[in-house]
Amino acid sequence: MAKLRLDRIKPLVALCAFLIAWWIIPTTVKSFLKASFSEFQAPAWVATSYLNDLENFWARRSHSKVELIEAGREVARAKSLYQFNSQRKETLENEIQRLEAILNLPSRREFRYEVARVVRRDLNAWWQQIVIRKGKDFDIPAGAAVVFSGGVVGRVVEVGAFTSRVELVTSPNFRMAANFEGDERPVVYQGLPQSGFGDPLGAVHDAPQDVVASTQRPLKLLSTRLGGTFPPGLMIGRVSWLEPGNTGIFQAGEVELDARLLSLHEVAVLIPLYPIDLQDDVP
Amino acid sequence: MFLDPRGILLFGANALLLYLTMLINSALVGWSIYLLMLGPMLVFPALYLPHKSYFICTLLTGLWVDAALPSGFGLFTFGFLFAGAFIFQMRIRFRAECNYHPIFLAHGVNFFCILLLTLAMGATFINNLGFCLQVFVTSLASHLALLIVAPWFFNFERMLFVLCRLDSEPEDLPIR
Repeated sequence: MAKLRLDRIKPLVALCAFLIAWWIIPTTVKSFLKASFSEFQAPAWVATSYLNDLENFWARRSHSKVELIEAGREVARAKSLYQFNSQRKETLENEIQRLEAILNLPSRREFRYEVARVVRRDLNAWWQQIVIRKGKDFDIPAGAAVVFSGGVVGRVVEVGAFTSRVELVTSPNFRMAANFEGDERPVVYQGLPQSGFGDPLGAVHDAPQDVVASTQRPLKLLSTRLGGTFPPGLMIGRVSWLEPGNTGIFQAGEVELDARLLSLHEVAVLIPLYPIDLQDDVP
Repeated sequence: MFLDPRGILLFGANALLLYLTMLINSALVGWSIYLLMLGPMLVFPALYLPHKSYFICTLLTGLWVDAALPSGFGLFTFGFLFAGAFIFQMRIRFRAECNYHPIFLAHGVNFFCILLLTLAMGATFINNLGFCLQVFVTSLASHLALLIVAPWFFNFERMLFVLCRLDSEPEDLPIR
């Protein structure tokens, strides 16, 4: 009879034993376990991504020659425009360097761009993250900024051997220093829980009282170099209205983010030419 | 044998279900729909396996899910073992050879997982209308999808038992 009773509570005893063991196990062991399981799963996602690329390749092969010639022309036009812009950028950069040398300004943080394919998108009420197909193999550091043609995408939060996890700008856990276009005073941008309906939204805090935003003339919210992670001038979103915040000293409002954030295929990771210090860089 | 071979099969099936779910979620992002279908993973190990194999299979599944999702590491490991312990204790009451009871259990466990995740990851946003709305839509979509996925998954697991010439009967049938 006693044996029978003991048998019946066996799952609960095992659960309690597990809880005690989990509490005792050092964090390093847990981190090792997590990394091991994550790395074990990563190849499946990388393989899926390569299969998608192959599928796209075969889909493109079915295009007619006329379509390809037309696409080639468009690429040639875009290439000549970019070549011109590249020359102009070089001239302007030289000019900036010359002026900085004259004024003895401190050096700016320099980045190199690492373009990466998006392997997986995990966007829901609890988290807003994407997984990209580059990790330690391309020297992606944790905390690096991630951008796309529409502006800021987010920040790298976890780096694996071949993949990295990026926290999106829409995530409530994402926070960065920003400023409005034409106004150097810093404000704070933070992600919001998304409803899933309509375009993604964020929030701006600590905006000065004299800043006015309206639906006719929305303000552009840009990244600033204050945090150290992002280069200045990258688009975060548009602010259509501002109202007094909780303190009454500053204003707060909603930021309309780029809808393309929900369907990203390719992003660029900004890797600083000297290492990121997460403690100093996070605003 | 230290571990029932069915435990390895069930763990493999769980990993496959998670992979497929995440693949679908990645494709559904543009429609703002997310499916959380963790419920079926727990049902067969708790109903079919001896305790040691059930525990190892559930523990590995929990760790696998924890590594794949950005939730706190250990959340699903604990959640699965917690829910599994209750199902295991009462498993003699459920008919595992038909799909009715396993589907019912899968919905229950899935709801528990959504609740666990909401409390662990979104407790600070519980007053936010947008957050509540999305949790509601996610729950609704997941449970609707489960109506199709759960029977397929259970039949798939039974088919694996047959293909591998393993015992397709639960461990604790009342008639044994």
